[in-house]
This record gives sequence, C-alpha cells and structure tokens, in this order.
Amino acid sequence: MKKRGYGIANMWYGIGNTANHNPSGAFVDILDDGTAIVLTGCADIGQGSTTVLAQIAAETLGINIEDVVVVAADTEVTPDAGATSASRQTYVSGNAVRLAAKNAREQVLAKASEELNIQAERLSIYQGQIWVGDNPSGVMIKEIITQCRSEGVLTLGHGSFDPVTTKLDSETGQGIPYATYAFATQVAEVEVDTETGIVEVKKIVAAHDVGKAINPQNVEGQIEGGCSMGIGYALLEEVVVKDGEIQGPGMSTYLIPTAMDVSEVYPIIIEEYEASGPYGAKGVGEPALVPTAAAIANAVADALGIRMYELPLTPERIIATIKRK
Amino acid sequence: MAEFHLEMKVNGKPIVLDVDPGLRLLDVLRDILHLTGTKEGCGEGECGACSVILNGKLVDSCLVLAPQANGQEVITIEGIAQNGELDSLQKAFLEAGAVQCGYCTPGMILAAKVLLDHNSTPSRLEISKSISGNICRCTGYTKIIQAVEIAASRIATKEGADHA
Amino acid sequence: MPDYSTIGKSIQRIDGIDKVLGKSQYIADIDLPGTLCLKVLRSDVAHALVKKIDVSEVERIPGVVRIFTHVDIPGINGYGIIVKDQPALTDKVRFKGDAIALVAAENEEIAKRALKLIKVDFEKLPPIYDVWTALKEDAPAIHSRGNILTVSKIKKGDAEAVLNQAEVVVSRSYTTQRVEHCYIETEGGVAYIENGILVIKVSTQNPHYDRRDVARVLGLPMNKVRVIQATTGGGFGGKLDISVQCFLGLAAIKLGRPVRMVYDRQESFVATGKRHPFFIDYTTAANKEGKLLAVKVKIVGDTGAYASYGPATLVRAAVHATGPYEVLNVDIDALCVYTNNPISGAMRGFGTPQMAFACESQMDLLAEALGISPVEMRRRNILQQGSITATGQKMNKSVGIGKTLEAAWEKALQVMPGLGDERR
Repeated sequence: MKKRGYGIANMWYGIGNTANHNPSGAFVDILDDGTAIVLTGCADIGQGSTTVLAQIAAETLGINIEDVVVVAADTEVTPDAGATSASRQTYVSGNAVRLAAKNAREQVLAKASEELNIQAERLSIYQGQIWVGDNPSGVMIKEIITQCRSEGVLTLGHGSFDPVTTKLDSETGQGIPYATYAFATQVAEVEVDTETGIVEVKKIVAAHDVGKAINPQNVEGQIEGGCSMGIGYALLEEVVVKDGEIQGPGMSTYLIPTAMDVSEVYPIIIEEYEASGPYGAKGVGEPALVPTAAAIANAVADALGIRMYELPLTPERIIATIKRK
Repeated sequence: MAEFHLEMKVNGKPIVLDVDPGLRLLDVLRDILHLTGTKEGCGEGECGACSVILNGKLVDSCLVLAPQANGQEVITIEGIAQNGELDSLQKAFLEAGAVQCGYCTPGMILAAKVLLDHNSTPSRLEISKSISGNICRCTGYTKIIQAVEIAASRIATKEGADHA
Repeated sequence: MPDYSTIGKSIQRIDGIDKVLGKSQYIADIDLPGTLCLKVLRSDVAHALVKKIDVSEVERIPGVVRIFTHVDIPGINGYGIIVKDQPALTDKVRFKGDAIALVAAENEEIAKRALKLIKVDFEKLPPIYDVWTALKEDAPAIHSRGNILTVSKIKKGDAEAVLNQAEVVVSRSYTTQRVEHCYIETEGGVAYIENGILVIKVSTQNPHYDRRDVARVLGLPMNKVRVIQATTGGGFGGKLDISVQCFLGLAAIKLGRPVRMVYDRQESFVATGKRHPFFIDYTTAANKEGKLLAVKVKIVGDTGAYASYGPATLVRAAVHATGPYEVLNVDIDALCVYTNNPISGAMRGFGTPQMAFACESQMDLLAEALGISPVEMRRRNILQQGSITATGQKMNKSVGIGKTLEAAWEKALQVMPGLGDERR
C-alpha cells in the first residue's frame, strides 16, 4: 500500500566560524578606463561566489558588472579570505569586497568633489557616471580617474571584515558564537510504499531567510541542490564501515540522488535584512540542506504512524520497522 | 602490445591514430586529442561525467575501448557550438542557472542533446529519465530540467519558423 | 537615485561560458610537459606502528623516480585546520587508508606497480572501531592526548530540575550515518617550481589554509609557497582539508620536476573526510501549552582517526542543538571522539543536519503528546526579536524564522492538497 505523509522542519544556522575570528580581505583597483579588478582569496567551488562578489563590487563602485574582473584564490596575488565554508563567503568576503570597493570609490568621489566643486557626501556613482543627489552629472567616472592619474593618484581600495563574535565559556558555553544567523523552514510530502519500503519524496517547499538575496537564481540553485543532497541523506546515502574499512568505496555501491530521485522543490526566498551584511545579505549554502532530512523523516513518520530514529530511512529499515510494529 | 589503427570522426573531423587497444575512448579524447571537456568522475560508468555521443547515442566514454569507436562518429562538448555560436542547450544552461561547479555540465548537455535530437517536445519525466545516468551533486537537477525545457521550446519555435 | 543596478539581480554566472563549452581547466585538464605521477601507499591495517618500510625492490623498477616516507618530511610532520594531528606520511597508522609512502614515477602505470612492491612491517595495535570502546578508560590511546578530542558544553538555567517536574517530557536516542561528499570531481593537484617558488594548483576550498600547512610540513617560508585554486568541481566541505597538497609539494621540491596527483574515486572515498556519524540522546520538556521548557542533549561524534573539522562540527552541533527555538534551560554536551575509523570532517552543515533530525523529531513527538499540530508547536517556540539563545545571545538582528515558517506553510497548503486544514 502507498501511504502519504507530510513533515515540517525548521533550522537556524550561524554564518561564519563558531566563536572564532574568520576574517576576509580584499583589494580593489579602479583602472584608467573605469573598469576594475577585485582581488579576493575566496574560492568559488561552484556555488557562485565569484559572480556574487563581482555584483557587490560593481554595485559599490557604481560601474557595470561587465566592467569588473574578479581574481580569486591565488595566495601570491589575493589576500586571505578564509575558507569557503560555514556559509560565510557572501557575508564575510562580500563585506570585505564591499569595504574595499567603498575605499576606492571614496577616492574617486573626493576627486569628483574637487572637480565639480560639490560636497563629496552629495555625490555617488551609478552605471559609470557621477551623480549629484538624484541627478546624473554628465561626468563619467573615467574622466575623474583620468584627472586622478594626471595628478599621480592611483585609485586603490582595500577592505577586510571579521564577523563580531566572542569566545564561548568553556564550562557553560555562554557567549556570542555568530554575528548573524540564517533561518529556514521546509515542508516535505512523501509517499511510502509499505510493501517495498521505498520512499518517494513528492514535493519539498523550502523557505529560506538568506538576508538580501544578492543573486536570487543562485540562491534558488543552492536551495534546490541542498534539498537533493538532503534527500540522499534522508533516504539513500550511507558509507558503510566494517572493521574500520569502507565497504564498496565507489559510486556503483554508494548511490546519490539522480534526476529520477529528486522531488519538485518550491524555493521561497525570505529577505530579512541583516544590517551587518553586504547589502543586507546573510548566507544560504549549508542551510539549504540542513532541515531536509528532518522534514522527510517527519513526513515518513506521518505516513506510517511509526517513527524511526536512525538515518538513512532505507527500504530495509522501513520494512523492518513496519514488521516490528 | 600491438598498436591499434583507429579511424574515427570526432566533432566532424576525421581522426587517424595508432593507439594502445587497451585505451578507453575517454583517454583517447582527453590525453591524445586534448578534448578535456569530457570529464572523468568515477571510471565505472556511474556518474556520466565522461558522456559523449557515439553514432547518435549517449555513451560513457570510460566504458568504451578505443577499438570500439573505430569507424564511428564521436561528438564531444567541444563539437556542439556551431561557428562560434553556442548551441541552444548551452545557452539555456547559462540562462536557467543550470551550471554550478560545472563538472557534470558537458556530459549533462550531451545527454540532453541526444534527447532533443530524438524528441523535441519531451515531458519533464522524459527529461529526467534522459539525464538520470548523469549525476549532478550541486544543482538538484531542477534548473537543469528547466534548461532542457527552455532549449526544447526554442528549438520548437525555430523549427516552426523554418517551416513557415 | 535609481535602484540597485546589480544587487538582487540574477546575473549569469561569470564562469558559466567556459563551463558550458567544456573549456574550464579543472586539475585533471592541466597538461604540464614532463610531469611525474604521484601515488600514495595507504595502510590496509587500522592501528599499528610502522616498523620498517622496504623500498629496495621498488627503486630498481625503471621509471620509478623516488619513494618518500615519513623520514623525508623536511618540516613538521603534522597538519590539520584545527589540531595539527595528521602526518603527511605516517610512522603510526591510525586508520585503513593512512598514508605511508609516496611514489613518484614517470607514469601512472609504473607508480601503481611500485605501490604493490613496497613492503611495510607493522607492529599492530588494538584497533578501536566504535566511540563507546574509545571512551573507555582503559582504551588504547589513538593519539597521545587521549581519545576524547573535545567536549563542548552549553549550560543555562537548571534543565535537570525542570525535566523532573515538567508536564511533558520526551526522551529519545537518534543515530545518524557517515556520508560521502561525492563531488563529481575528485581531489587533485599539480605542482612545480617557478622562480624558486613552489607553485601548487589544486582543487580546494581554502588555498590560504593550504599554504599554511604546506609551508609547515615542508619547512618553507609561507611566501615561497603559492597555492592557486584551479576550477573546482564541488566541495561541500570535503575539500577544506589537506589532501594532495603536501604530497605534491614534497615531491616537487625534492625532485625539481612538475608533479601531478589526482585521486581516483576509490581513493577519494577512502582517504578524505566524511560527515560525522552522531549518537544523540535528546530529552525535551514542555508545558501543556506546548512551550519548551528544557532540553538535555548528549552528542557523541565519531571523528575517526584525525581531528580534521571534528571539533568545529561538534561545537556547532551543540550550539544549534535546541533548533531555532527559545529554551531557557539547557544542558548540552557534545563529545568529539577519535576512533580508528575513516576520518570525519566538514560536510555541508557541520553537524546541524544531524541535530535537525533529532530536534525536529522531538518537536513532532511533543506536538503529538500534547495534541497540538506540528506547525503550531513550532509557532509557539520559534526565536523572535529579543529571544535569548542557548548560549545567551540576544536575537536582536535579522530573525526570519517566523516568516519562513508561515511562508513555507502557506505554500505547502497550496501545493500539497493532502495537507489538510485540520493540521493548522
């Protein structure tokens, strides 16, 4: 018989290393033609940090994204950005890049202030042009840079950011482990075949508070990928170790979700502005996966009326649990 | 060991080589022809990162020995952009955000290409099935499936226009 | 001023074009002429002292350039992001997969043949394959510091007293499994010397950490080690640790030739960190209105033979153990324990997916016991502005859990017709 069930799970996730410094640094160089280079140690492992950092630099400098090149993760060239880990790079390195870009921008605006004879506080840069309040000035950033160069001034910016945390007391654990947290709720719908023990995840609704989503499509991609990995964690994946030895170390025995195993995912982005984040951003990389297995386990318990306490919920375990009842 | 005289077509170009007959097609493509867009992920035909199109069919090139490709036509990821213009699947993968780490991407695009070459109006299930031999650990497949749908609709529109 | 020009926009991925064209250069795609192939001899015993390594037969094989063992490490033979307890090449084996000898050969075939001919004499030690044995007082010590690597405690209020008096108490034990990251690109790197600087290109999540530990193990100043991240085919925490970096650096500086090392899938499984298996005892107390009053949690994580990110995983698990709920009385202990099992390290979530499984199961069990719907049970306990967490942190910034809960529930009611109104 096939039984349907529904499960809900919440999660929270502290962004950055736990109760530890984890700074990131960045350099920004605005070149003669108004294009820019960003140097960051941040390793893009496929999650899209290079693109997100380029967006943050472009926005802060007031130039087009096509005019930003990010050079990343080369220790001889780029400053330390810490690990691509702990869902921290958008928040921590995003801030470092924002600050470095701000530092460079201030130099441009100082020169523009001189040239236009208007207070720097009233000036900004948008799409490569200097703006005065709400109006374009007609002066391009390139012209200001040219003026800078003619006076022997380079427009270099540097920035670094370290999330504000404290140590945790060794006996009580009291303290501030993270500067900010991401939150999420996922709801899973499953169908359990009580004859075979096979669980099919039909749908997952995944609502994630990521702070400002710098790149919504990337955020969705993280959520969908996290749900898929969570399905594997809940139902399929286990590295079996016997007498200290991994049994069948390879992809023919260790099965991870294929396109036929994943469910429909409904990502919902909640943008609870984080004042300390770059443009209000927090993070999403790990949170995407954190509640998925929990929601699926609750859905399976709902379907069967029996709860299981050991992951993964393999067909063998499900059948054995049904039989024991 | 005696060398094997291999003649095949790769991305439309005739290739003539004398190779160790124990070499896999994957090794010939990557190590001899330097077509490194074809990736090795598992070496046992499970992950699909090494997928190429052999005479119109999707194969894991880690499971094909060089002599088996003799006289055949091979298409790799390097062979699907035409005259410098991206294939509709390549464009759709970019648009839909179907690329993350990118390691599965070449094989995934070729798997989708084989599907669309035979069926230009696939259902979601048909798309999922056609890429189910290609493992992606990053995306959860959602955006990959969307990308294939986008490409399919573009191809359908274009074909409609061509016939109009 | 107009709105943001790029923030909040789904800009296409900058590295996307090369990836769809198959042009991106991952490690295995880098072609360096004259490159030597490196392979590691890994232990097939779990716990032993290495008494003798006989390479006499091996070095006679044509094409074998050099065999390295622990005596060849020029710097400090220990690396690790948190605790520097893992030797690059070991004289004491702590798991089935520990690295004993490194072969540099003209090609892969020769390197593989050489591995088979290296003879190692072991003095076997009793292996420990589970955390409970490891925790026994008379258990053999896997590391000189003992088998308990870290204990993370979070204590607030008086959980014990509340548990004894509460109207509803739910107590359960949960176990979770070991998981492999299984990125489609395995670990790999190349190294060479350029202008007197050791250059290592590698598939990694943290090049600056790599530089630190490579410099340490090789006894080089940090500015003489350049680590460049190649296009990386996934990480998920598994590429935070040192894998091939020290091997590549050692061979490149000793031989002065470019070297290359790419793990096959089996080696990627055997040699690198996994998600920690957890054993969780979880007790939760609530009042009749469904308000959480206390949690008491004990977590034991099997970190395997080396620390890797184990301490970070267990402390994060402890901090997140209550879930995103306000609980005034908290008693949490998280133990990170060495065994002779494969290494556990960082994997997406650092112990929190394990804790979510336990905590969220508890929430449903409490809801059931109290006759409250699961969603309502959560509504009554989620963190709000001004809530105090288990570590005493006041939530005074971006706290979106109320919004995610309502948004997810509303959407679920739309797209899951079977999710009836009675569950509100």
